[in-house]
Amino acid sequence: MPNGNSPTASNGAGAAAIVARSLRRTFKGGIEAVRGLDLTVTSGEVFGFLGPNGAGKTTTVRMLCTLLPPSDGSATVAGLDVARDGAEVRRRIGVALQEIGLDPVQTGRELLELQCGLYGITGRHGRARAQELLELVGLTDAADRRTRTYSGGMKRRLDLASALVHSPEVLFLDEPTTGLDPASRLTIWDELRRINSGGTTVFLTTQYLEEADQLCDRLAIIDDGRIVAAGTPEQLKAEMGHDVVSVALNRADPSATEAALTGLPGLERIMPEPHALALYVEDGAGLIAEIVRRLDRDGIQVGAISVSRPSLDDVFLKATGRRLEGREQAQDEGAVTT
Amino acid sequence: MTEVLLLGRRAVREIVRYPEATIPTLFIPLFFLVVNIGQVSKTFPSTTPFLNGQGYVAFQLPVSLMFAVATATSGLALVTEIELGYFDKLLVAPIRRSSLIFGRLTADLVRGIAASALVLLVGIALGARVQSGMLGALLIVLLSALFGVAYAGFGILVALRTRNVQATQSSFLLFFPLLFLTPNFVPFDRLSPAMETLARINPISYVIVGLRSLVIDGWDVGKIAVAVAVIFGLGAILTALSLRTIANYNR
Repeated sequence: MPNGNSPTASNGAGAAAIVARSLRRTFKGGIEAVRGLDLTVTSGEVFGFLGPNGAGKTTTVRMLCTLLPPSDGSATVAGLDVARDGAEVRRRIGVALQEIGLDPVQTGRELLELQCGLYGITGRHGRARAQELLELVGLTDAADRRTRTYSGGMKRRLDLASALVHSPEVLFLDEPTTGLDPASRLTIWDELRRINSGGTTVFLTTQYLEEADQLCDRLAIIDDGRIVAAGTPEQLKAEMGHDVVSVALNRADPSATEAALTGLPGLERIMPEPHALALYVEDGAGLIAEIVRRLDRDGIQVGAISVSRPSLDDVFLKATGRRLEGREQAQDEGAVTT
Repeated sequence: MTEVLLLGRRAVREIVRYPEATIPTLFIPLFFLVVNIGQVSKTFPSTTPFLNGQGYVAFQLPVSLMFAVATATSGLALVTEIELGYFDKLLVAPIRRSSLIFGRLTADLVRGIAASALVLLVGIALGARVQSGMLGALLIVLLSALFGVAYAGFGILVALRTRNVQATQSSFLLFFPLLFLTPNFVPFDRLSPAMETLARINPISYVIVGLRSLVIDGWDVGKIAVAVAVIFGLGAILTALSLRTIANYNR
Protein backbone atom coordinates (compact mmCIF):
# COMPACT_ATOMS: atom_id res chain seq x y z
CA MET A 1 0.00 0.00 0.00
CA PRO A 2 1.18 3.52 -0.66
CA ASN A 3 2.23 5.20 2.54
CA GLY A 4 0.19 8.10 3.77
CA ASN A 5 3.00 10.61 4.21
CA SER A 6 2.40 13.10 1.48
CA PRO A 7 4.73 16.03 1.06
CA THR A 8 2.86 19.27 1.53
CA ALA A 9 2.58 20.72 -1.92
CA SER A 10 -0.43 22.85 -1.22
CA ASN A 11 -2.13 24.35 -4.19
CA GLY A 12 -4.09 27.44 -3.37
CA ALA A 13 -6.15 29.20 -6.01
CA GLY A 14 -3.91 30.97 -8.47
CA ALA A 15 -0.99 28.58 -7.93
CA ALA A 16 0.23 26.56 -10.88
CA ALA A 17 -1.47 23.15 -11.12
CA ILE A 18 0.66 22.07 -14.07
CA VAL A 19 3.96 23.46 -15.27
CA ALA A 20 5.88 22.03 -18.23
CA ARG A 21 9.29 23.28 -19.28
CA SER A 22 10.87 22.27 -22.60
CA LEU A 23 8.99 18.99 -22.35
CA ARG A 24 10.02 16.57 -25.05
CA ARG A 25 9.23 13.02 -26.04
CA THR A 26 11.00 11.16 -28.78
CA PHE A 27 9.88 7.63 -29.59
CA LYS A 28 11.90 4.76 -31.00
CA GLY A 29 12.85 5.45 -34.59
CA GLY A 30 13.39 9.13 -33.80
CA ILE A 31 9.74 10.17 -34.01
CA GLU A 32 9.43 13.45 -32.13
CA ALA A 33 5.90 13.44 -30.74
CA VAL A 34 6.39 16.42 -28.45
CA ARG A 35 9.10 18.96 -29.27
CA GLY A 36 9.89 21.26 -26.38
CA LEU A 37 6.63 22.22 -24.75
CA ASP A 38 6.23 25.07 -22.27
CA LEU A 39 2.95 25.61 -20.50
CA THR A 40 1.49 26.69 -17.19
CA VAL A 41 -1.99 25.71 -16.06
CA THR A 42 -3.37 27.71 -13.16
CA SER A 43 -5.07 25.89 -10.32
CA GLY A 44 -8.84 25.82 -10.70
CA GLU A 45 -9.04 26.51 -14.42
CA VAL A 46 -10.18 24.40 -17.34
CA PHE A 47 -7.26 24.28 -19.72
CA GLY A 48 -7.73 22.97 -23.23
CA PHE A 49 -5.23 21.41 -25.56
CA LEU A 50 -6.59 21.77 -29.06
CA GLY A 51 -5.09 20.02 -32.05
CA PRO A 52 -5.61 17.44 -34.78
CA ASN A 53 -4.89 13.73 -34.44
CA GLY A 54 -1.17 13.06 -34.12
CA ALA A 55 -0.36 16.56 -32.86
CA GLY A 56 1.14 15.26 -29.62
CA LYS A 57 -1.83 15.76 -27.29
CA THR A 58 -2.01 12.21 -25.97
CA THR A 59 1.76 11.95 -25.56
CA THR A 60 1.74 15.14 -23.49
CA VAL A 61 -1.10 13.87 -21.29
CA ARG A 62 0.66 10.55 -20.78
CA MET A 63 3.83 12.33 -19.68
CA LEU A 64 1.94 14.58 -17.27
CA CYS A 65 0.12 11.51 -15.85
CA THR A 66 3.42 9.68 -15.25
CA LEU A 67 2.51 6.97 -17.77
CA LEU A 68 5.38 7.92 -20.03
CA PRO A 69 8.72 9.41 -18.98
CA PRO A 70 9.74 12.62 -20.80
CA SER A 71 12.78 12.26 -23.04
CA ASP A 72 13.86 15.73 -21.98
CA GLY A 73 12.63 18.77 -20.08
CA SER A 74 10.56 18.69 -16.92
CA ALA A 75 7.01 18.94 -15.66
CA THR A 76 5.31 19.36 -12.32
CA VAL A 77 1.72 18.47 -11.50
CA ALA A 78 0.17 19.69 -8.24
CA GLY A 79 3.60 21.03 -7.40
CA LEU A 80 5.31 17.64 -7.76
CA ASP A 81 7.82 16.53 -10.34
CA VAL A 82 6.32 13.87 -12.62
CA ALA A 83 9.62 12.04 -13.04
CA ARG A 84 10.80 12.11 -9.40
CA ASP A 85 7.55 12.04 -7.41
CA GLY A 86 5.46 9.87 -9.73
CA ALA A 87 3.78 7.95 -6.92
CA GLU A 88 2.64 11.12 -5.17
CA VAL A 89 1.51 12.72 -8.45
CA ARG A 90 -0.66 9.64 -9.14
CA ARG A 91 -2.38 10.07 -5.78
CA ARG A 92 -3.41 13.62 -6.66
CA ILE A 93 -4.59 13.25 -10.23
CA GLY A 94 -7.57 11.67 -11.91
CA VAL A 95 -7.18 10.38 -15.44
CA ALA A 96 -9.60 9.44 -18.20
CA LEU A 97 -7.64 8.42 -21.26
CA GLN A 98 -8.73 8.46 -24.86
CA GLU A 99 -9.00 4.68 -24.98
CA ILE A 100 -11.72 4.20 -22.41
CA GLY A 101 -10.16 1.93 -19.82
CA LEU A 102 -12.99 -0.30 -18.65
CA ASP A 103 -13.03 -3.93 -17.73
CA PRO A 104 -15.86 -5.45 -19.80
CA VAL A 105 -16.77 -8.31 -17.45
CA GLN A 106 -17.23 -6.14 -14.38
CA THR A 107 -20.34 -4.13 -13.63
CA GLY A 108 -20.14 -0.36 -13.38
CA ARG A 109 -20.52 -0.57 -9.62
CA GLU A 110 -17.81 -3.22 -9.21
CA LEU A 111 -15.45 -1.20 -11.33
CA LEU A 112 -15.98 1.93 -9.25
CA GLU A 113 -15.68 0.02 -5.99
CA LEU A 114 -12.39 -1.51 -7.15
CA GLN A 115 -11.18 1.91 -8.22
CA CYS A 116 -12.11 3.27 -4.76
CA GLY A 117 -10.20 0.39 -3.16
CA LEU A 118 -7.08 1.16 -5.19
CA TYR A 119 -7.20 4.70 -3.79
CA GLY A 120 -7.57 3.38 -0.25
CA ILE A 121 -11.34 3.96 0.04
CA THR A 122 -12.52 0.52 1.12
CA GLY A 123 -15.52 -1.24 2.63
CA ARG A 124 -18.57 0.84 3.50
CA HIS A 125 -16.87 4.07 2.42
CA GLY A 126 -15.99 2.61 -0.96
CA ARG A 127 -19.54 1.40 -1.56
CA ALA A 128 -20.97 4.78 -0.57
CA ARG A 129 -18.52 6.67 -2.79
CA ALA A 130 -19.27 4.40 -5.75
CA GLN A 131 -23.01 4.99 -5.30
CA GLU A 132 -22.47 8.74 -5.06
CA LEU A 133 -20.48 8.77 -8.31
CA LEU A 134 -23.01 6.56 -10.10
CA GLU A 135 -25.65 9.12 -9.20
CA LEU A 136 -23.39 11.98 -10.27
CA VAL A 137 -22.93 10.58 -13.77
CA GLY A 138 -26.49 9.26 -14.04
CA LEU A 139 -25.66 5.55 -14.19
CA THR A 140 -27.61 4.20 -11.23
CA ASP A 141 -29.97 2.22 -13.47
CA ALA A 142 -27.10 0.55 -15.31
CA ALA A 143 -24.87 0.18 -12.22
CA ASP A 144 -25.25 -3.59 -11.94
CA ARG A 145 -24.87 -4.38 -15.61
CA ARG A 146 -21.54 -5.42 -17.06
CA THR A 147 -19.79 -2.53 -18.78
CA ARG A 148 -19.64 -4.39 -22.10
CA THR A 149 -23.37 -3.63 -22.45
CA TYR A 150 -22.85 0.13 -22.06
CA SER A 151 -23.15 2.62 -24.92
CA GLY A 152 -20.20 4.86 -25.83
CA GLY A 153 -21.62 7.74 -23.81
CA MET A 154 -22.23 5.57 -20.75
CA LYS A 155 -18.68 4.21 -20.93
CA ARG A 156 -17.28 7.72 -21.08
CA ARG A 157 -19.35 8.76 -18.08
CA LEU A 158 -18.31 5.72 -16.07
CA ASP A 159 -14.68 6.30 -17.00
CA LEU A 160 -15.03 9.90 -15.89
CA ALA A 161 -16.59 8.77 -12.60
CA SER A 162 -13.73 6.33 -12.02
CA ALA A 163 -11.27 9.20 -12.45
CA LEU A 164 -13.06 11.08 -9.67
CA VAL A 165 -13.21 8.50 -6.85
CA HIS A 166 -10.55 10.26 -4.75
CA SER A 167 -11.61 13.85 -5.60
CA PRO A 168 -8.39 14.61 -7.47
CA GLU A 169 -6.77 18.03 -7.48
CA VAL A 170 -6.08 17.82 -11.19
CA LEU A 171 -8.22 15.94 -13.68
CA PHE A 172 -6.73 14.88 -17.02
CA LEU A 173 -9.13 14.06 -19.82
CA ASP A 174 -7.82 12.93 -23.17
CA GLU A 175 -10.47 13.66 -25.78
CA PRO A 176 -13.37 13.07 -23.38
CA THR A 177 -16.06 13.45 -26.03
CA THR A 178 -14.48 11.95 -29.14
CA GLY A 179 -16.91 9.56 -30.80
CA LEU A 180 -19.92 10.73 -28.78
CA ASP A 181 -23.19 11.93 -30.22
CA PRO A 182 -23.99 15.62 -29.63
CA ALA A 183 -26.38 14.94 -26.73
CA SER A 184 -23.84 12.83 -24.81
CA ARG A 185 -21.23 15.47 -25.50
CA LEU A 186 -23.38 18.13 -23.84
CA THR A 187 -23.89 15.85 -20.81
CA ILE A 188 -20.13 15.44 -20.41
CA TRP A 189 -19.63 19.19 -20.73
CA ASP A 190 -22.16 19.82 -17.96
CA GLU A 191 -20.44 17.28 -15.75
CA LEU A 192 -17.04 18.85 -16.39
CA ARG A 193 -18.35 22.30 -15.51
CA ARG A 194 -19.79 20.95 -12.29
CA ILE A 195 -16.53 19.17 -11.39
CA ASN A 196 -14.54 22.30 -12.16
CA SER A 197 -16.86 24.48 -10.08
CA GLY A 198 -15.80 22.38 -7.08
CA GLY A 199 -12.22 23.60 -7.55
CA THR A 200 -10.74 20.75 -9.58
CA THR A 201 -8.29 21.84 -12.24
CA VAL A 202 -9.20 20.25 -15.56
CA PHE A 203 -6.72 19.61 -18.34
CA LEU A 204 -8.47 18.35 -21.42
CA THR A 205 -7.41 17.61 -24.94
CA THR A 206 -9.79 17.95 -27.80
CA GLN A 207 -9.99 18.17 -31.55
CA TYR A 208 -13.34 19.92 -31.32
CA LEU A 209 -13.25 23.70 -31.68
CA GLU A 210 -16.59 24.18 -30.04
CA GLU A 211 -15.54 22.14 -27.03
CA ALA A 212 -12.44 24.27 -26.57
CA ASP A 213 -14.47 27.44 -27.04
CA GLN A 214 -17.31 26.46 -24.70
CA LEU A 215 -15.45 24.77 -21.88
CA CYS A 216 -11.98 26.18 -21.58
CA ASP A 217 -10.83 29.17 -19.59
CA ARG A 218 -7.59 29.07 -21.52
CA LEU A 219 -6.26 26.92 -24.29
CA ALA A 220 -3.19 26.08 -26.26
CA ILE A 221 -3.20 25.03 -29.88
CA ILE A 222 -0.78 22.20 -30.53
CA ASP A 223 0.39 21.12 -33.93
CA ASP A 224 3.21 18.76 -34.81
CA GLY A 225 4.43 18.56 -31.22
CA ARG A 226 4.61 22.30 -30.61
CA ILE A 227 2.34 24.91 -29.08
CA VAL A 228 1.58 27.36 -31.87
CA ALA A 229 -0.86 29.66 -30.07
CA ALA A 230 -2.11 30.08 -26.50
CA GLY A 231 -4.50 32.29 -24.55
CA THR A 232 -8.16 32.59 -23.65
CA PRO A 233 -10.53 31.74 -26.51
CA GLU A 234 -11.59 35.41 -26.63
CA GLN A 235 -8.00 36.68 -26.79
CA LEU A 236 -7.10 34.28 -29.53
CA LYS A 237 -10.12 35.20 -31.61
CA ALA A 238 -9.66 38.93 -31.00
CA GLU A 239 -6.13 38.72 -32.36
CA MET A 240 -7.60 37.55 -35.63
CA GLY A 241 -9.36 40.81 -36.42
CA HIS A 242 -13.00 41.78 -36.29
CA ASP A 243 -14.79 39.87 -39.05
CA VAL A 244 -13.96 37.09 -41.47
CA VAL A 245 -15.21 37.24 -45.04
CA SER A 246 -14.92 33.87 -46.71
CA VAL A 247 -14.84 33.86 -50.50
CA ALA A 248 -15.42 30.44 -52.03
CA LEU A 249 -13.31 30.27 -55.19
CA ASN A 250 -15.03 27.55 -57.19
CA ARG A 251 -13.05 27.76 -60.46
CA ALA A 252 -11.63 31.24 -59.92
CA ASP A 253 -7.85 31.66 -59.95
CA PRO A 254 -6.64 32.12 -56.35
CA SER A 255 -3.83 34.57 -57.10
CA ALA A 256 -5.95 36.72 -59.44
CA THR A 257 -8.69 36.84 -56.83
CA GLU A 258 -6.22 37.76 -54.11
CA ALA A 259 -4.78 40.50 -56.31
CA ALA A 260 -8.25 41.92 -56.98
CA LEU A 261 -9.06 42.09 -53.29
CA THR A 262 -5.71 43.40 -52.00
CA GLY A 263 -5.99 46.93 -50.70
CA LEU A 264 -9.62 46.68 -49.60
CA PRO A 265 -10.38 49.32 -46.96
CA GLY A 266 -10.04 47.85 -43.45
CA LEU A 267 -8.43 44.60 -44.70
CA GLU A 268 -6.10 43.16 -42.06
CA ARG A 269 -4.99 39.91 -43.65
CA ILE A 270 -5.83 37.48 -46.44
CA MET A 271 -5.36 33.74 -45.70
CA PRO A 272 -5.48 31.35 -48.65
CA GLU A 273 -7.28 28.08 -47.94
CA PRO A 274 -8.04 25.14 -50.19
CA HIS A 275 -10.81 26.38 -52.53
CA ALA A 276 -11.38 29.63 -50.62
CA LEU A 277 -9.85 32.88 -49.40
CA ALA A 278 -10.37 34.11 -45.83
CA LEU A 279 -10.33 37.90 -45.51
CA TYR A 280 -9.87 39.29 -42.00
CA VAL A 281 -11.47 42.72 -42.03
CA GLU A 282 -12.80 45.42 -39.74
CA ASP A 283 -16.35 45.51 -41.06
CA GLY A 284 -17.37 42.48 -43.09
CA ALA A 285 -20.95 43.39 -43.95
CA GLY A 286 -19.99 46.89 -45.10
CA LEU A 287 -17.36 45.49 -47.44
CA ILE A 288 -19.43 42.95 -49.37
CA ALA A 289 -20.54 45.42 -52.04
CA GLU A 290 -16.96 46.58 -52.64
CA ILE A 291 -15.74 42.98 -52.90
CA VAL A 292 -18.40 42.12 -55.46
CA ARG A 293 -17.59 45.30 -57.42
CA ARG A 294 -13.88 44.51 -57.59
CA LEU A 295 -14.41 40.89 -58.62
CA ASP A 296 -16.89 41.98 -61.27
CA ARG A 297 -14.44 44.61 -62.54
CA ASP A 298 -11.75 41.95 -63.04
CA GLY A 299 -14.19 39.45 -64.51
CA ILE A 300 -13.64 36.93 -61.70
CA GLN A 301 -16.51 34.56 -60.95
CA VAL A 302 -16.51 33.20 -57.40
CA GLY A 303 -18.90 31.04 -55.38
CA ALA A 304 -20.50 32.02 -52.09
CA ILE A 305 -19.32 35.01 -50.06
CA SER A 306 -20.08 34.86 -46.35
CA VAL A 307 -19.34 36.98 -43.29
CA SER A 308 -18.69 35.59 -39.80
CA ARG A 309 -16.93 36.37 -36.55
CA PRO A 310 -13.49 34.76 -36.29
CA SER A 311 -13.63 31.30 -34.77
CA LEU A 312 -10.94 29.20 -33.14
CA ASP A 313 -10.65 27.50 -36.49
CA ASP A 314 -9.46 30.82 -37.93
CA VAL A 315 -6.92 30.93 -35.12
CA PHE A 316 -5.91 27.40 -36.01
CA LEU A 317 -5.65 28.31 -39.68
CA LYS A 318 -3.45 31.28 -38.92
CA ALA A 319 -1.19 29.24 -36.66
CA THR A 320 -0.85 26.15 -38.82
CA GLY A 321 -1.95 27.10 -42.33
CA ARG A 322 -4.65 24.41 -42.17
CA ARG A 323 -8.17 24.19 -40.88
CA LEU A 324 -9.33 21.77 -38.21
CA GLU A 325 -13.00 21.98 -39.03
CA GLY A 326 -13.30 19.70 -42.07
CA ARG A 327 -11.69 16.77 -40.30
CA GLU A 328 -13.85 17.29 -37.28
CA GLN A 329 -17.00 16.97 -39.34
CA ALA A 330 -15.71 13.92 -41.16
CA GLN A 331 -14.94 12.27 -37.82
CA ASP A 332 -18.26 13.31 -36.35
CA GLU A 333 -20.14 11.64 -39.14
CA GLY A 334 -18.08 8.50 -38.68
CA ALA A 335 -18.67 8.56 -34.97
CA VAL A 336 -22.44 8.92 -35.05
CA THR A 337 -22.86 5.69 -36.97
CA THR A 338 -20.91 3.65 -34.40
CA MET B 1 -1.71 -6.29 0.50
CA THR B 2 -5.24 -4.90 0.23
CA GLU B 3 -4.68 -3.93 -3.38
CA VAL B 4 -3.42 -7.44 -4.22
CA LEU B 5 -6.58 -8.95 -2.74
CA LEU B 6 -8.80 -6.42 -4.54
CA LEU B 7 -7.10 -7.12 -7.86
CA GLY B 8 -7.11 -10.85 -7.15
CA ARG B 9 -10.81 -10.84 -6.39
CA ARG B 10 -11.45 -9.01 -9.61
CA ALA B 11 -9.37 -11.54 -11.58
CA VAL B 12 -11.25 -14.46 -9.98
CA ARG B 13 -14.52 -12.77 -10.91
CA GLU B 14 -13.22 -12.56 -14.46
CA ILE B 15 -12.55 -16.33 -14.50
CA VAL B 16 -16.02 -17.14 -13.16
CA ARG B 17 -17.74 -14.79 -15.60
CA TYR B 18 -15.73 -15.84 -18.58
CA PRO B 19 -15.91 -19.66 -18.50
CA GLU B 20 -15.13 -19.79 -22.23
CA ALA B 21 -11.52 -19.08 -21.27
CA THR B 22 -11.29 -21.87 -18.67
CA ILE B 23 -13.35 -24.75 -20.07
CA PRO B 24 -11.03 -25.48 -23.04
CA THR B 25 -8.04 -25.60 -20.66
CA LEU B 26 -9.82 -28.39 -18.75
CA PHE B 27 -10.92 -30.25 -21.84
CA ILE B 28 -7.39 -31.14 -22.95
CA PRO B 29 -6.20 -32.75 -19.69
CA LEU B 30 -9.41 -34.71 -19.23
CA PHE B 31 -9.35 -35.80 -22.86
CA PHE B 32 -5.75 -37.02 -22.53
CA LEU B 33 -6.54 -38.83 -19.33
CA VAL B 34 -9.39 -40.83 -20.86
CA VAL B 35 -7.77 -41.41 -24.25
CA ASN B 36 -4.34 -42.40 -22.96
CA ILE B 37 -5.78 -44.84 -20.52
CA GLY B 38 -7.97 -46.35 -23.22
CA GLN B 39 -4.97 -46.76 -25.50
CA VAL B 40 -2.34 -48.21 -23.16
CA SER B 41 -4.14 -49.87 -20.25
CA LYS B 42 -3.80 -53.28 -21.95
CA THR B 43 -0.08 -52.68 -22.56
CA PHE B 44 0.44 -51.66 -18.92
CA PRO B 45 -1.91 -53.76 -16.79
CA SER B 46 -1.92 -53.29 -13.04
CA THR B 47 0.67 -56.04 -12.72
CA THR B 48 3.22 -53.73 -14.38
CA PRO B 49 5.96 -53.12 -11.75
CA PHE B 50 6.00 -49.30 -11.99
CA LEU B 51 2.24 -49.13 -11.42
CA ASN B 52 2.54 -50.66 -7.97
CA GLY B 53 -0.72 -52.59 -8.36
CA GLN B 54 -2.77 -49.64 -9.69
CA GLY B 55 -4.32 -49.01 -13.10
CA TYR B 56 -2.50 -46.83 -15.64
CA VAL B 57 -4.80 -43.93 -14.72
CA ALA B 58 -2.80 -43.47 -11.52
CA PHE B 59 0.39 -43.09 -13.55
CA GLN B 60 -1.17 -40.67 -16.03
CA LEU B 61 -3.06 -38.52 -13.52
CA PRO B 62 -0.16 -36.16 -12.60
CA VAL B 63 0.43 -35.36 -16.29
CA SER B 64 -3.22 -34.34 -16.66
CA LEU B 65 -2.97 -32.26 -13.50
CA MET B 66 -0.06 -30.34 -14.98
CA PHE B 67 -1.95 -29.80 -18.22
CA ALA B 68 -4.96 -28.51 -16.30
CA VAL B 69 -3.03 -25.84 -14.41
CA ALA B 70 -0.43 -24.76 -16.96
CA THR B 71 -2.33 -22.15 -18.92
CA ALA B 72 -1.71 -18.77 -20.49
CA THR B 73 -5.03 -17.49 -19.13
CA SER B 74 -3.49 -14.85 -16.90
CA GLY B 75 -1.22 -13.66 -19.66
CA LEU B 76 -4.16 -13.45 -22.03
CA ALA B 77 -6.28 -11.56 -19.53
CA LEU B 78 -3.38 -9.16 -19.03
CA VAL B 79 -2.70 -8.57 -22.72
CA THR B 80 -6.43 -8.00 -23.31
CA GLU B 81 -6.40 -5.46 -20.51
CA ILE B 82 -3.41 -3.75 -22.14
CA GLU B 83 -5.24 -3.60 -25.47
CA LEU B 84 -8.41 -2.25 -23.90
CA GLY B 85 -6.52 0.46 -22.06
CA TYR B 86 -7.67 -0.70 -18.63
CA PHE B 87 -4.07 -1.56 -17.82
CA ASP B 88 -3.11 2.12 -18.16
CA LYS B 89 -5.91 2.99 -15.77
CA LEU B 90 -4.39 0.61 -13.23
CA LEU B 91 -0.86 1.92 -13.83
CA VAL B 92 -2.00 5.46 -13.11
CA ALA B 93 -3.58 4.41 -9.79
CA PRO B 94 -1.42 4.94 -6.69
CA ILE B 95 -0.59 1.25 -6.26
CA ARG B 96 2.55 -0.80 -6.50
CA ARG B 97 3.03 -2.20 -9.95
CA SER B 98 3.94 -5.54 -8.41
CA SER B 99 0.36 -5.75 -7.09
CA LEU B 100 -0.84 -6.09 -10.66
CA ILE B 101 1.26 -9.25 -10.99
CA PHE B 102 0.44 -10.66 -7.56
CA GLY B 103 -3.27 -9.98 -8.12
CA ARG B 104 -3.16 -12.11 -11.26
CA LEU B 105 -1.18 -14.86 -9.52
CA THR B 106 -3.74 -14.93 -6.69
CA ALA B 107 -6.39 -15.75 -9.26
CA ASP B 108 -4.11 -18.41 -10.77
CA LEU B 109 -3.85 -20.05 -7.36
CA VAL B 110 -7.64 -20.11 -6.96
CA ARG B 111 -8.18 -21.43 -10.47
CA GLY B 112 -5.37 -23.96 -10.03
CA ILE B 113 -6.93 -25.36 -6.88
CA ALA B 114 -10.34 -25.70 -8.55
CA ALA B 115 -8.95 -27.20 -11.77
CA SER B 116 -6.62 -29.71 -10.12
CA ALA B 117 -9.28 -30.77 -7.60
CA LEU B 118 -11.61 -31.47 -10.52
CA VAL B 119 -9.02 -33.47 -12.47
CA LEU B 120 -8.04 -35.40 -9.34
CA LEU B 121 -11.67 -36.31 -8.68
CA VAL B 122 -12.10 -37.48 -12.27
CA GLY B 123 -8.93 -39.56 -11.89
CA ILE B 124 -10.27 -41.11 -8.71
CA ALA B 125 -13.59 -41.79 -10.42
CA LEU B 126 -11.64 -43.57 -13.17
CA GLY B 127 -10.04 -45.84 -10.55
CA ALA B 128 -6.90 -44.09 -9.30
CA ARG B 129 -6.17 -44.40 -5.55
CA VAL B 130 -4.05 -41.81 -3.78
CA GLN B 131 -1.61 -43.92 -1.74
CA SER B 132 -0.58 -40.98 0.42
CA GLY B 133 -4.18 -40.59 1.62
CA MET B 134 -6.33 -37.54 2.13
CA LEU B 135 -3.43 -35.34 3.18
CA GLY B 136 -1.51 -36.46 0.12
CA ALA B 137 -4.50 -35.63 -2.09
CA LEU B 138 -4.61 -32.12 -0.62
CA LEU B 139 -0.88 -31.76 -1.21
CA ILE B 140 -1.33 -32.90 -4.83
CA VAL B 141 -3.97 -30.21 -5.38
CA LEU B 142 -1.86 -27.54 -3.67
CA LEU B 143 1.37 -28.40 -5.51
CA SER B 144 -0.44 -28.56 -8.84
CA ALA B 145 -2.02 -25.16 -8.19
CA LEU B 146 1.34 -23.72 -7.19
CA PHE B 147 2.88 -25.11 -10.35
CA GLY B 148 0.09 -23.30 -12.23
CA VAL B 149 1.00 -20.07 -10.43
CA ALA B 150 4.68 -20.51 -11.29
CA TYR B 151 3.91 -21.31 -14.92
CA ALA B 152 1.48 -18.34 -15.23
CA GLY B 153 4.50 -16.07 -14.85
CA PHE B 154 5.58 -17.18 -18.31
CA GLY B 155 2.35 -16.02 -20.00
CA ILE B 156 2.44 -12.78 -18.01
CA LEU B 157 6.01 -12.19 -19.10
CA VAL B 158 5.17 -12.74 -22.77
CA ALA B 159 2.09 -10.50 -22.44
CA LEU B 160 4.08 -7.64 -20.92
CA ARG B 161 6.99 -7.99 -23.34
CA THR B 162 5.08 -8.41 -26.59
CA ARG B 163 1.74 -6.71 -25.71
CA ASN B 164 0.40 -8.98 -28.41
CA VAL B 165 -2.54 -11.37 -28.04
CA GLN B 166 -1.34 -13.91 -30.62
CA ALA B 167 2.13 -14.14 -29.13
CA THR B 168 0.68 -14.62 -25.66
CA GLN B 169 -1.76 -17.20 -26.93
CA SER B 170 0.96 -19.22 -28.61
CA SER B 171 3.26 -19.02 -25.58
CA PHE B 172 1.17 -21.91 -24.27
CA LEU B 173 2.49 -24.13 -27.07
CA LEU B 174 5.90 -24.08 -25.43
CA PHE B 175 4.45 -26.21 -22.69
CA PHE B 176 3.82 -29.17 -24.99
CA PRO B 177 7.48 -30.11 -25.57
CA LEU B 178 8.22 -29.36 -21.91
CA LEU B 179 5.48 -31.74 -20.84
CA PHE B 180 6.31 -34.46 -23.34
CA LEU B 181 10.08 -34.46 -22.83
CA THR B 182 9.40 -36.08 -19.46
CA PRO B 183 8.66 -39.54 -18.14
CA ASN B 184 5.02 -38.82 -18.89
CA PHE B 185 4.07 -42.24 -20.41
CA VAL B 186 6.68 -44.48 -18.77
CA PRO B 187 9.34 -44.07 -16.04
CA PHE B 188 12.81 -42.65 -16.80
CA ASP B 189 14.43 -46.10 -17.15
CA ARG B 190 12.00 -47.14 -19.90
CA LEU B 191 12.86 -44.17 -22.11
CA SER B 192 15.42 -44.38 -24.94
CA PRO B 193 18.85 -43.11 -23.82
CA ALA B 194 18.55 -39.80 -25.72
CA MET B 195 15.04 -39.23 -24.47
CA GLU B 196 16.04 -40.10 -20.93
CA THR B 197 18.85 -37.54 -21.01
CA LEU B 198 16.46 -34.82 -22.17
CA ALA B 199 13.83 -35.84 -19.65
CA ARG B 200 16.36 -35.79 -16.81
CA ILE B 201 17.45 -32.27 -17.79
CA ASN B 202 13.86 -31.06 -17.95
CA PRO B 203 12.81 -29.75 -14.53
CA ILE B 204 9.14 -30.43 -15.29
CA SER B 205 9.97 -34.17 -15.07
CA TYR B 206 10.60 -33.87 -11.36
CA VAL B 207 7.26 -32.20 -10.72
CA ILE B 208 5.53 -35.11 -12.45
CA VAL B 209 7.67 -37.65 -10.57
CA GLY B 210 6.89 -35.93 -7.25
CA LEU B 211 3.14 -35.79 -7.82
CA ARG B 212 3.15 -39.34 -9.15
CA SER B 213 4.92 -40.61 -6.07
CA LEU B 214 2.10 -39.24 -3.93
CA VAL B 215 -0.43 -41.20 -6.01
CA ILE B 216 1.43 -44.45 -6.52
CA ASP B 217 4.05 -44.83 -3.77
CA GLY B 218 2.72 -42.93 -0.76
CA TRP B 219 5.11 -40.50 1.00
CA ASP B 220 8.50 -40.30 -0.71
CA VAL B 221 9.89 -37.20 0.96
CA GLY B 222 12.90 -36.96 -1.37
CA LYS B 223 10.80 -36.88 -4.55
CA ILE B 224 8.29 -34.47 -3.04
CA ALA B 225 11.06 -32.13 -1.89
CA VAL B 226 12.58 -32.03 -5.38
CA ALA B 227 9.15 -31.27 -6.90
CA VAL B 228 8.59 -28.47 -4.38
CA ALA B 229 12.04 -27.07 -5.11
CA VAL B 230 11.40 -27.07 -8.88
CA ILE B 231 7.98 -25.41 -8.47
CA PHE B 232 9.31 -22.69 -6.17
CA GLY B 233 12.47 -22.20 -8.22
CA LEU B 234 10.54 -21.85 -11.48
CA GLY B 235 8.00 -19.59 -9.77
CA ALA B 236 10.70 -17.38 -8.28
CA ILE B 237 12.50 -16.94 -11.61
CA LEU B 238 9.41 -16.26 -13.74
CA THR B 239 7.80 -14.00 -11.13
CA ALA B 240 11.02 -12.03 -10.69
CA LEU B 241 11.25 -11.54 -14.47
CA SER B 242 7.60 -10.42 -14.62
CA LEU B 243 8.14 -7.98 -11.76
CA ARG B 244 11.18 -6.53 -13.47
CA THR B 245 9.31 -6.19 -16.76
CA ILE B 246 6.32 -4.46 -15.21
CA ALA B 247 8.60 -2.14 -13.23
CA ASN B 248 10.21 -1.02 -16.51
CA TYR B 249 6.96 -0.96 -18.49
CA ASN B 250 6.95 2.32 -20.50
CA ARG B 251 9.84 3.66 -18.47
